[in-house]
Amino acid sequence: MFLDSHKQQPGRTHPVIQATLLAAAIAACLSGGQALAYTSEDGTTQVNGFVENATYSRRNVGLSKMRNTVLIEGSKDYGEQGAFSNVSFVGAFRATYDGVYDLNDDEFGENAGGAINMQSVGGAGSTAWGQSDISTGVLGFGFDTTENPNEGMVNLGHALHDTDGGVGLGVPVRPCDVDSRGCIDDYLDFDESDLKYPEFNDRLDFLREAYLDATLPTESAATWNFRLGRQQVVWGRTDLFRVLDVINPVDYSRHNIYDELEDIRIPMWMATGEYRMGATETFDDLNMQFVWNFDKFRPNSLGQGGTPYAILDAGSFFRAMKNCWDNGCSVSNFAGGALSTDFPKHVIGIRDVHLPDWSLSNSQFGLKLEGDYQGVGFSLNALTYRSQLPSLRAVVDNADNPFTPEIESQSYDYLIAFDMYFPRVNLIGGSLDFYVDDIKSVFRVEAAYTDGEEFANTLRPELYSESDVFRYVIGWDRPTFIPFLNEKRAFLISAQLFGEYLVDHERETVNGIEAGNPNWEINHVGTLLLKGWYQNDRVSPQVIMAHDFKAHASVIAPSIDWLISDNLRLTVGANVKVGDGEQEFDDCRACNPFPPFTGAGEPGDTALRNLAGYEPLGRFRSGPIGMAQAEDEFQITLRYRF
Amino acid sequence: MRLLNTTLVAALLMAANLPAQAATNEDVDSSFFPYKNGVPTQDGLNAGVVIDQSNVGQFKQVIDPAMFEFISQGWTKITVGETTSFDLHPNYIQATRDGLGKVKLGEKSGEIEGFIAGRPFPEEPSMDDPRAGEKLAWNYKYGYNWGDNAAIYPFYWKYKDMKSGKLERTIKFNFHFLNYMHRVNQEPLPEITPNPSKLYRAIYVQALEPFDVKDTQLLIHRYENDLKRDSAWLYLGFQRRVRRLASGQVTDAFLGSDVMIEDFEGYNGRINDMEWTFKGAKNILVPFYNHNALPNLSEEHKESDGYQFVEMGDKGDCFPQITWQLRKVYELENKPKDANHPISKRVHYIDAQTFTIPRTLTYDRKGDLWKSWQIGQAHPDHHLPKNKGTGVAIDDSFTMIDVQAMHCTTGQFKGQVDPSLNPARKFTVQNLRASGR
Repeated sequence: MFLDSHKQQPGRTHPVIQATLLAAAIAACLSGGQALAYTSEDGTTQVNGFVENATYSRRNVGLSKMRNTVLIEGSKDYGEQGAFSNVSFVGAFRATYDGVYDLNDDEFGENAGGAINMQSVGGAGSTAWGQSDISTGVLGFGFDTTENPNEGMVNLGHALHDTDGGVGLGVPVRPCDVDSRGCIDDYLDFDESDLKYPEFNDRLDFLREAYLDATLPTESAATWNFRLGRQQVVWGRTDLFRVLDVINPVDYSRHNIYDELEDIRIPMWMATGEYRMGATETFDDLNMQFVWNFDKFRPNSLGQGGTPYAILDAGSFFRAMKNCWDNGCSVSNFAGGALSTDFPKHVIGIRDVHLPDWSLSNSQFGLKLEGDYQGVGFSLNALTYRSQLPSLRAVVDNADNPFTPEIESQSYDYLIAFDMYFPRVNLIGGSLDFYVDDIKSVFRVEAAYTDGEEFANTLRPELYSESDVFRYVIGWDRPTFIPFLNEKRAFLISAQLFGEYLVDHERETVNGIEAGNPNWEINHVGTLLLKGWYQNDRVSPQVIMAHDFKAHASVIAPSIDWLISDNLRLTVGANVKVGDGEQEFDDCRACNPFPPFTGAGEPGDTALRNLAGYEPLGRFRSGPIGMAQAEDEFQITLRYRF
Repeated sequence: MRLLNTTLVAALLMAANLPAQAATNEDVDSSFFPYKNGVPTQDGLNAGVVIDQSNVGQFKQVIDPAMFEFISQGWTKITVGETTSFDLHPNYIQATRDGLGKVKLGEKSGEIEGFIAGRPFPEEPSMDDPRAGEKLAWNYKYGYNWGDNAAIYPFYWKYKDMKSGKLERTIKFNFHFLNYMHRVNQEPLPEITPNPSKLYRAIYVQALEPFDVKDTQLLIHRYENDLKRDSAWLYLGFQRRVRRLASGQVTDAFLGSDVMIEDFEGYNGRINDMEWTFKGAKNILVPFYNHNALPNLSEEHKESDGYQFVEMGDKGDCFPQITWQLRKVYELENKPKDANHPISKRVHYIDAQTFTIPRTLTYDRKGDLWKSWQIGQAHPDHHLPKNKGTGVAIDDSFTMIDVQAMHCTTGQFKGQVDPSLNPARKFTVQNLRASGR
């Protein structure tokens, strides 16, 4: 089970074939050392693309990314075809090889991790994985360390914090073909080749785009425009934050929240129909868009435990918990809130993931009315979709009680044993943009109200609850002269404030700890971009800053972009975090799922709650910036376009 | 005494605002056919003469100051061509006649009353008229610059280091222009409807190459009400989003060139944003020519129909290799009202016959010459066959020289007066999204 080094999953291309495909792709676009775009003589066929190397180095870790990318995009215009005009096909192919898994495999590859100890503040102080103070020989506790050895492990959240008397879990960090522990089939189960060549999988992610466009004229000036195929559908008017731009899932494993959404949206097979009315008697422009996402569901890619970029470090938590369910696991400071404890399999953890199957009822629909009225751009949006983030529901019906010798296989309230679900979410929202001449500023506003989202909740027997959510972004753009920096070219100042309000938020302070929804009821994140241009825009320094107000966590990302020639661009930057990282929250050690063994009262009795720690729920309070406080990086990217 | 002063001021203002009652059909003839009775002359200046460093002093009075300096430095030369009439379309001229006596300035800068179509103020500007500059600005705004619509399709911009001649960047664009109102030639006349916000004109720009700017698009909507700020949007391919532009961004270098969006066509902004001063009429050399008669056209970027772009040469390859005509121009100064504007003033040399702006000198905030802006005008009858008879002076070549940075941006046009290239649906925000990816 542990060393299953040649594991191949159905539908996955063999690594050698993948490597060959990548090499072929690069060879196809490089000719004699020179990369060339192609435009046919009549201009109807066009092919272009880029090759890129992105090399990032992380403080105290070393190489965190050595991503080599080739992207080739092409289009073919077919003109008029039957009743349709402007018929065209667009395709984009992307292949990536990330050398970090070869060059820094002690951190992120087949040699990553090692043996770990678990804190036991009331016992030995520190015990090795599988040798906890409460272990084999104590009731039903303990697990088979031959199946689940103390190798290739790290402590959950180790880069950010010590255990500090809280819950601690162990995370297997090697790729799933090297160490299959904690890998979640069809969700977070990436082999080394999947990590090195992320586009080559059974969802054909190397195909970034492949769609057919066509226009159907009507008797009026209006037209119907159709797009069918693999595509990105972009809603909204703001940068970075996804309030309305939620149709495509996102790959955060590429570079957390910091890459352009264009590069990390996961394309989906969709059909869109747009009725473009143009100017009407009232509106300067008016359009209606219908979106049908008929692709099989894809969640956001959060990054697997053991990979360089895992938003909220959620992938590590999931992997640790999956291993707990499948193989058992050691947990720091658990029994009595003080003793390291070896849980047997099928007690705590993540049992299963329920990815929606493909069916008509599981497909996703959107509707957008967009236009311009008297200088104000607006949209009204509605979407019914599947949450792209998992909800962990403690609804496992075959968990065992380790305090009793027999195997019960039943459900227990407040037991930290989960199945993952992706609930249906309904969204309504809208957006605006307008210019205010008096202050020379453009404002962008986006807001959405959803129902159906689910959040962790330690006050509920199922350890989750549903909440309506209101999110909004207000953006402000102002070109501003800063004469002492540049007399003749304005700087762009762009600020955004993102707000999130959990309408049905539940939280209580009990015995001095916070329990309920770990997410903040109301929180804001502000961003500020200052960008300048020199040398005819060939040199462009910028700094992006973001601050999570409740998490007290910030990121500062200065960079300088040098367009060496029409084809060659060098970007040198840094990504530095400041502020707080880890946050504490009720960790449910005192949730009392197995009374009377775990407590005298009823399951979930709040009177018993008195234990909190950084893991596992503090991550929802720290947010993506706080959880990455240990990920300061220096970054160099070189891109050659052709 | 105060009452008397007030009365005098009011009388002066009224005089300035009076309908162009002084304009007559003769004024229209003089305005549109200034060379009917002969072309300007200058001793020693004949077609074929080459003005270079050696003889430029002889022609100082017919060369604008920046060009004089360039030639004096030996950076370029002027080949003189025969002065020819660039007759505008008869419908535009007739619309001017139809409007005689009906058009007047409003009380405030940026206001005009009674205008339907044609040239609003065809009478000869007077130095005694305190609002003569403003009237010239209106004549330019409502000029027949690209007719009712046109496209520059394609349009090559090149960024160059003037000292070394190094070509830094080549951008291929398509530019499209559409008049929603005051149309005189192409159906629908006089206005495209529905037009709920009363747009006067729209400009749509699409970048095609290189591929880091591919899919970048710009859309500008100019309202009939000059007091209303333009709406502008930018689509950035790497974001796949349309962004509304703040007005300040029209004074920034467009995609890193030496050209501001506000520089397009000579001046691309509101009349009300500037203070306009008429500085007098004169005869100077300006870049007007017959494209097909140019001796050297570029061998680069040849089109499949055989069209060849204007060749660039001389210092840093910053100068279009064209011929110049001695023509009547109006010197018009515009000064930004906004103290934060990056320039202190522009001096336009407006061609009196076509009201195009072939030469503009731009001064920085300190008052020093910053940029020299030259837009070569080609006669439509000696250009693409489809342009023949359109009565549109074809923008055909440009150079914007930053004399302080010793840097230039040159432009090579394929101007096409072709309504099929400029349907109204191309000038919508939604088209930016649809055309981008």
